[in-house]
Amino acid sequence: MATTQMLEAPAQTPQTQVRATQRNSWLSRSNWLAHSALALVTFIVLLPILWMLATAFKDGQEFYTNSASLFPRNPSLVNFQYMFSAIQELPIYMRNSFILAIGVSVVQVFSAALAGYAFARINFRGRDLIFIAIIVSMFIPRSGGLMALYELMSFLKLRNSLFGLILLFASSLPVPIFIMRQAFLAVPKEIEESAFIDGASWFQVFARISVPLVASAMVVIATLAFVGVWSDYLVTYTMVDRDTQLTISVGIQKVLTSSYESATAIVPQLRGQFAHEAADAAMLLFSAAPVILIYALLQRWFMRGLTDGAIKF
Amino acid sequence: MAANESASLSGTRNLGGLLRGLRNKEQGVKYNNLLGYAFIAPAMLLYLVFNIWPIIRGFLMAFTDYRFVYPDTRWDFNGVDNFVKLASDEKVHKSIWIALKYTAMVLPITILAALIIAVLISRVRSGASFYRWVVYLPSILPVAVSFLMFREMYGLKFGLISNILRGLGVENPPNWLGDVAYALPSIAVAHLWIIFGFPTLLFLIGIYNIGSEMYEAASLDGANGFQQLRWITIPLLKPTFALILVLQIGIIGVTDPMLLLTAGGPENSTLTVGLDIYQIAFVKGDLRLGYAAAISLVIGVFSALISAGVFRWSRD
Repeated sequence: MATTQMLEAPAQTPQTQVRATQRNSWLSRSNWLAHSALALVTFIVLLPILWMLATAFKDGQEFYTNSASLFPRNPSLVNFQYMFSAIQELPIYMRNSFILAIGVSVVQVFSAALAGYAFARINFRGRDLIFIAIIVSMFIPRSGGLMALYELMSFLKLRNSLFGLILLFASSLPVPIFIMRQAFLAVPKEIEESAFIDGASWFQVFARISVPLVASAMVVIATLAFVGVWSDYLVTYTMVDRDTQLTISVGIQKVLTSSYESATAIVPQLRGQFAHEAADAAMLLFSAAPVILIYALLQRWFMRGLTDGAIKF
Repeated sequence: MAANESASLSGTRNLGGLLRGLRNKEQGVKYNNLLGYAFIAPAMLLYLVFNIWPIIRGFLMAFTDYRFVYPDTRWDFNGVDNFVKLASDEKVHKSIWIALKYTAMVLPITILAALIIAVLISRVRSGASFYRWVVYLPSILPVAVSFLMFREMYGLKFGLISNILRGLGVENPPNWLGDVAYALPSIAVAHLWIIFGFPTLLFLIGIYNIGSEMYEAASLDGANGFQQLRWITIPLLKPTFALILVLQIGIIGVTDPMLLLTAGGPENSTLTVGLDIYQIAFVKGDLRLGYAAAISLVIGVFSALISAGVFRWSRD
């Protein structure tokens, strides 16, 4: 199965290498041109992020006089000082985001692993029909879905509840189930069969033999779930209006549009030392930091999940 | 491996195989029903309650006059009244028009940019994985962070874009998000920046799958880079084009950036149908979920028709 390698360029056979040398001059020129064009793309993509990063380390005076530069002359931590001392909701939002993102990851990995194993290995009536129905249902447009969810969550008394949001987000299971089923299918049947012969039960085989062999697929699912949930805006914004249950990705807008007057009143010593815009930049970076970190560290799994999820259909 | 492959769902060809397997199942298979249902129970329960039920309920709701503040109206079916009303609701017509304009700004450029960047990445002999990482980076940022970041960039006095323009000699850069003429395109640019990464990766996978033999044959026949692009890459990427269009068509219902940046202003120039639906359902008056679901259904059917058309086109 070539899924893992989907995003890698195909390896060149010796034959193609010989032929490639014939057009080497053209290739190396195009290689060089492609690199310079991609450098420009990279610059455009990174520019807003780098500017935020630079701005976050500028104090008031530098921001007002030198707002466009990408390198602060006198890096200052005043924005972060302000952020951590004056914005009291920030740690709550952050905690909620972690609870939600980790909660969804756990629920999805758990339920998708069980279901994926059943669809791959256990014979039960209607198995393939149910599986196909799940996959096909993914493509039905969710018109009115948000309104129906609003009614459902109110009815279940799950609005303004992190627990409710965990269930709601964790229910997007077709892709995770699909990935887990693929992973379990790739486990050699013989390993499981020999365990059965040794007298292990279904659950023991599942938990002790099969699950450890599909750990990487589970990491893929957890990563995608974490990043996806962390980044959600619309659904969380609709389901939560109580401040104590907001996530950082929704709360950040509230913080940025709330009055700086009342916030600076908490830290009068910082008054006049920082620019609002620069403090905004620091807070935006702070709220995206966990996903950027995960994306940087778990790149391989991430790309795998994307290709597994979207391409294999 | 081969046996697994044939049982898997990769590609429509195998979907057909799976369906065939469904019909003539071998006799004498030992069923383990209880165990199987127990294993899929947690996933199915979640999926049915929070995913399938809202589809059904959302559809039914479109034919009711459900107002959230009056719970009794929950099942007040009113036939096609919502759609009749919609046919003469000029405010909604205008917001649909704005959403279409927005889609026309974002979608073609996204696809074109994604194609060009994918071709470029496929041409480099080193560093491709770095470029793939960079290209997808905007898509993993929280949407709120990305759009609010662009709000800072568009800032009149200290925003980066206005500053660059001033440096280039433009004396009065426009008030991007506050100007009727510029607000919608400005949001569209931010949107483009956020979403182009995934289509790029999809195109890239498509290009890698074409394989090098095709290009070698072409280059032996004397085809240059652009000819190869025109006659090999682009025609063979047709299914990828279709997949991308189908995945991105939801942009017609765009809501997030308007909620985050403009609330529909200035002068309703960014009031898309998505935002309109949102306000009808969750903000204004007695929260007319029924009417909102009806508008949403019309948009959904419209995008489904486009998807179906695109899908058929890709099969020709």
